[in-house]
Amino acid sequence: MAEAPITSVQVEALVVLKIAKACAATFPTTATGSIVGMEVNGTLEITNSFPFPTADIAASDSHPNDHMAASNIAAAAPRSKSNATYQNEMIKCLKEVNVDANNAGWYTSANMGNFINISLIENQYHYQKEINERTVALVHDVSRSAQGVLSLRAFRLSSSFMSAFPEGKFTTEHMQKTKLTYKDILIELPIIVHNSHLLTTYLHQLPGSLPKAEPEFPASLADLNKFSPDIPLYPNIDSLDISIDPYLERTCDQLLDSIETHYTELNNFQYFQRQLAREQTKVTTWKTKRTAENATRAAQKLAPLPEDEWERLFKLPTEPSRLEGMLNARQVDQYSKQVDGFTASITSKMFAVKSNLLPGQ
Amino acid sequence: MAVGTESFLHLSRPLAPQSISNQPTTSPLNVVVLPQAIFSILDHAVRKDNPSSRVIGALLGVRSEDGLEVEVRNCFAIPHTENEDQVEVDVEYQKSMLALQLRANPREVLLGWYTTSLELNNFSGLIQNFFASPETGTFPHPALHLTVSTDSGKEIDAKAYISAPVGVNAERAAESCLFIAVPYEIRYNEADKSGLELASGAKDVEQRTAPIISDIEGLECAIDHTIDLLERVSEYVNMVLDEEREPSNALGQFLMNALSLAPKVDVADIERDFNNHVQDVLVISYLANTIRTQIELSQRLATSTLTMGGTDVLSAAGEGGEKREGQGGDRGGKRGGRGGNRGGRGGGQKREPGEPNE
Repeated sequence: MAEAPITSVQVEALVVLKIAKACAATFPTTATGSIVGMEVNGTLEITNSFPFPTADIAASDSHPNDHMAASNIAAAAPRSKSNATYQNEMIKCLKEVNVDANNAGWYTSANMGNFINISLIENQYHYQKEINERTVALVHDVSRSAQGVLSLRAFRLSSSFMSAFPEGKFTTEHMQKTKLTYKDILIELPIIVHNSHLLTTYLHQLPGSLPKAEPEFPASLADLNKFSPDIPLYPNIDSLDISIDPYLERTCDQLLDSIETHYTELNNFQYFQRQLAREQTKVTTWKTKRTAENATRAAQKLAPLPEDEWERLFKLPTEPSRLEGMLNARQVDQYSKQVDGFTASITSKMFAVKSNLLPGQ
Repeated sequence: MAVGTESFLHLSRPLAPQSISNQPTTSPLNVVVLPQAIFSILDHAVRKDNPSSRVIGALLGVRSEDGLEVEVRNCFAIPHTENEDQVEVDVEYQKSMLALQLRANPREVLLGWYTTSLELNNFSGLIQNFFASPETGTFPHPALHLTVSTDSGKEIDAKAYISAPVGVNAERAAESCLFIAVPYEIRYNEADKSGLELASGAKDVEQRTAPIISDIEGLECAIDHTIDLLERVSEYVNMVLDEEREPSNALGQFLMNALSLAPKVDVADIERDFNNHVQDVLVISYLANTIRTQIELSQRLATSTLTMGGTDVLSAAGEGGEKREGQGGDRGGKRGGRGGNRGGRGGGQKREPGEPNE
C-alpha cells in the first residue's frame, strides 16, 4: 500500500456529536474510543465511532478524587488487549448494518490542550504499527469547546518518528543523525465536518430558520417573553462570552507544570553527565596506570597486558531518553499557540467592551 | 434549550383488562431525545440496503427513577427483513450489540426502538411487543417507539409512542397493541453546542462540509451576526419613528428593558479593570512564548554539535563529542531554567491582581 499519505480528515457530524457526548460525560477523566471510516484519495472519512468500555472506572465512581487513576486506565485503553477484542467485535457488528468496517484510529479527550504525552504517542504508535497504518488520533478538547468554538484535532505520527520509536534510541547522538526534533513527532491534519443529505434537511428544521410570514406583533411583554424564538445554533453566541481569569489561571498552572517537567529532565541529564564524567576519570586513571605498568613490564621484557580491558571493568552510564523532553517541548509549543489564539480573540473582545462602555474615548 | 412539540393533551391511558395487562400502570412519559440519537438514526437511514424499505434499531438511554421521564442518548441499528406477510428481526444481533453497548455505557438501559417511517402497521405491534416483553425488553416499563420520517425531499418528522396491550383475542395478543403518542423534545446540552454549531454552519453549503474554525474566526462570525441583528432592530425602530411601520408597545417595552441592562459604570473603574486585564492577558501570552523559545533553544542546543575553537571534535569513541554536546545541553538547560523562573514569578504576580476582579 504505497499510496499518497493522508492529507486531510473528514468527520461526519454524527461522529463529532458522539465524541463530544462521550468526552463530556466523563470530564475531567479522560475518555477514549475507537473510530471507523474509510480512506478516499488521501482523505480519511470518519463515519462512526464508539467508546471503549470503562467498567473499572464506573466501579471507582464513589471516589471522585481518584479520577487521575481512572484517567490513566482510560488513556491506556486503546492499546489494551481486551479493548482490541471489543473493538473487533463492535466493528463486526457495525459491518452488518453497512457501517464502514475499517478501523480509522481512536479518539481521546483533553483538557485545555494537555494531550501531548507519552500515552498519546504509544496509542497512536500501536494503531499505526499494528492495526492499520492509515489511522489518526482525534483529540477533542472539552474545556475549549465549551468556550464556544469546537476544538477537535487530528494527529498522526510522522514516519521518521515511527521508525525511531521502537528502537527507543532518543540519545543525543541518534537525534543528531536523524535530525529528529520535537516538531517532527506529530503531524496535524486539517479536519472538515461533513453532513449527510438527510442531516442537512434535519438541520434546516432545527431552530434557526426565521418564520417566513411577517409575524403578528405581540400583545404584551408577557406574550413576547413567552413566545420568544429559539436561539439559532449557528453562529454560536457563546464565543462572545468574556471570561479571562479562569483561562489565564489554568494556562499558568499548566505552563508551570511544563517547566517542572523540563527541570526534571534537565536534572536527569545533568546527573547522567556527572556520572559519565566520573566514570571517564576513572577510566583515564586506569589507562594511565595500565600504560605505566606496561612500560615497566616492557622494561622487564614481559608481554604487555591488554589495554582495552577497561571496557569490561567499567560500565559507562546509559544516556537518558530525550523523548520526554521532546514531548514536553511540543506541549509547551501547543500551550503557547493556544494562548496566542486566546489573546487574539480576548483582546478584541475587551477593546469592544471598553469602547462600548466608554463611547468617544 | 429544547425543541419540543408545543402543546400536548394528556389523557389517561385506556386501561386494559387486568387479566391481560400484567404491566403496572405507567403515567404518560416525558421523552427527551438527544441530537446524537437523531443523527445516528438518520445515518442509519442513509445506509439502508433497500432505499424503499424502513430500517429499525434499538434506543438506549437513561430513565428517571420514577420512570416518568426517559432520555434517549444512544441507539444502534438492527438488521431486519420485512415483506408482505412476515418480519424477521435479528434477535441474536440485537442481544450481542446491546451487550457491547452496555459494556461501554454501563449506565444506559434499553428503552425501546426506532424505525425510519411514520407508518405504524401490524409488524410494528409485533416488534413493539418484542421490545416490551419481560425477557427481551423493557418490562416493567413501557417500551418507547420513535418513528422518524426519512423520505427524501420532505421534512423530517418524528413521533414518539408508548404502547398498551389491547385485547383482541388470546391468539392475536402477541401482535396487537395500542400505540399512544407521547410528547417528546429534542434537547441539546452545552457540550453538544459547539459541535452542532459547526454542523449547522455547513447546512447552507453545497458540499455539506465545514472546516473547523479557529477562535478568532468564530468570534468574527458571532460579531457579524450580532451586528446584523442590531441593525435590523435599529432599522425597525427608525421606521417606527418615521411612521412607516406600525409601532408595538410590547416590543418597545422589551427593547427598553434590554437597553436598561447596560451597566452604569465609572469611567475610572472601567479604565482600571480594562488595563489590568489587558496586561494580564498580554503578560501570559508573552511569558508563554518566552518559555516556548527557551525550551526550544534548550532542545536545539541539546542536540547540536558545537564546534567552537576548531578543537578535535568527536574524538575517540565519540566520548569527547558527547561531552561537548552535554555541555551544550547544559547551557540550554540553564537558559530554559531561567525562563522558567521568570514564568513562575509572572504567574504568581498575575494571579494576585487577577482574583479580586472576578
